[in-house]
Amino acid sequence: MKIRAVASNTFKEAIRDRVLYLLLFFAVISLISSRILALLTVGDKIKIIMDVGLASISLFGVLMAILMGTGLVYKEIDKKTIYTLLSKPINRLQFLLGKFFGLMATLFIMLVFMSLIFIIIFLLYSGQITWKFFVSLGFVFLELCLITSVALLFSCFSTPILSSIFSLSFYVIGHLSWGLETLIKKMKPGITKFLTQAVYALLPDLENFNFKSEVVHNLAIPPKIFLFSFLYGIIYTFFILVLAMLVFRRRDFI
Amino acid sequence: MVVSCGLFMGLKLITDQIPRKKVPGASIIYIPSGKYLKYASLGYSSLFADLVYIWSIQYFSNHSVPERFQYLTHVFSIISELDPNYLDPYQVGALIAIYDAKDFDTAMEILEKGLEKNPEQWIFPWQAGHYAQMILKDFKLAKKYYKMAMEIQGSPPITKRLYSNAVYELGDYETAWKNWLEIYKNADDKRVKKIASNHLYRTKAAIDIQKIKQALYKYKNKFGQLPKKLGVLVSSGILDSIPQDLDGRDYVYNPETGKIKTAVIPWKR
Repeated sequence: MKIRAVASNTFKEAIRDRVLYLLLFFAVISLISSRILALLTVGDKIKIIMDVGLASISLFGVLMAILMGTGLVYKEIDKKTIYTLLSKPINRLQFLLGKFFGLMATLFIMLVFMSLIFIIIFLLYSGQITWKFFVSLGFVFLELCLITSVALLFSCFSTPILSSIFSLSFYVIGHLSWGLETLIKKMKPGITKFLTQAVYALLPDLENFNFKSEVVHNLAIPPKIFLFSFLYGIIYTFFILVLAMLVFRRRDFI
Repeated sequence: MVVSCGLFMGLKLITDQIPRKKVPGASIIYIPSGKYLKYASLGYSSLFADLVYIWSIQYFSNHSVPERFQYLTHVFSIISELDPNYLDPYQVGALIAIYDAKDFDTAMEILEKGLEKNPEQWIFPWQAGHYAQMILKDFKLAKKYYKMAMEIQGSPPITKRLYSNAVYELGDYETAWKNWLEIYKNADDKRVKKIASNHLYRTKAAIDIQKIKQALYKYKNKFGQLPKKLGVLVSSGILDSIPQDLDGRDYVYNPETGKIKTAVIPWKR
């Protein structure tokens, strides 16, 4: 009930944020440009439209998550409204979760809106969308959940600029960590390899949520990957939120 | 604000009219390898592949860049690294290499890479065979590639016909006959049956003419001249009988030159 109240307020606040609409505007431009870019290619135009469309939805979704998420808690602290909020019978965990779910609801609406625009553009050109496209969007949303939780974590103790940089770094590491696996394979067994493997396991692997290639090339996806990637996303998000709660619980606002 | 907006728009239009020297192809200062670009793409490797491909089409179509083909292999290998399942670049890269760069080896390299990354795609060996046959007239190479294409599921029926034609052109008439006979027996429609029949006619004619020529050679060695009629080869005991074409017609023999040909053109039967 209390989480819902905070979430509802966060949603109402976030949906009015001008940054969101600026990003949405560029996302729509990017989606429309996929159709124009396809004119320049020789061969499969559908691939270009699908690639640009999915990339736009994913990239702008991440930007929205980072830019909005990093200000979630910080704004309350900066405006001193956090005192009013926490003086009410609401604990810090409920407050954090409310903020998280509020932003997730906003991102969900944005994702649906961008997807609808893309589907219209795509259907006007091709007329065939497979179920893999929707699954891919689902995992984009899961990735946004994780990024939002990370942005929320950094927002609990840092300024928006630094939080944005840290969140962006998390995103970059998440998409580069697969390179560490290649390095581990070349290492000799020993303590260094063990430590590297531990670091690799701890670092985020956002490629688990990336099914763009499979959608574009209509490749087979092992059903197990859906379950494990989904669980990975949920558990990692939970872990980050717990970390955020621990940080926020110790935070002194005076 | 309106005045300044109008001013800068006008200045832009004026600046665009001023001719400036450009070095064609100067946009390529450094092209990173596909492996490192894949890292830099942060999960958008497919999109990067699209953008590099679209750029490459514009770049290689620009005839004012004289040495644009020196990076052909590298650019298309980047696309292959970023998105190995993207089929169009392999075909277009090979097309550019063959028809623009006149570089057959590069075209084959690109198509071989396409096949390596996509072993289930018959189009790559098929195109390689097609280029070997039509451009190089290298039927040995064409035969090799058509055979590879034939072994991939989904390859069109014409592949076997092209393979059989390559076998014929290499002079292996016995194998060509066997292949064309199989095609004729398994043909679903009249058109393919007719094509196979014409090739069978041509192959039989080649086998028969070869046999007759050998007999003429033996006759000339024995009697010092060519016979006036082919029937003489039978009466002199060199041949048991004079072969006829697939339709039962006699071959046309020129006693002055020793040349033998079919009574009709195979494709006009």
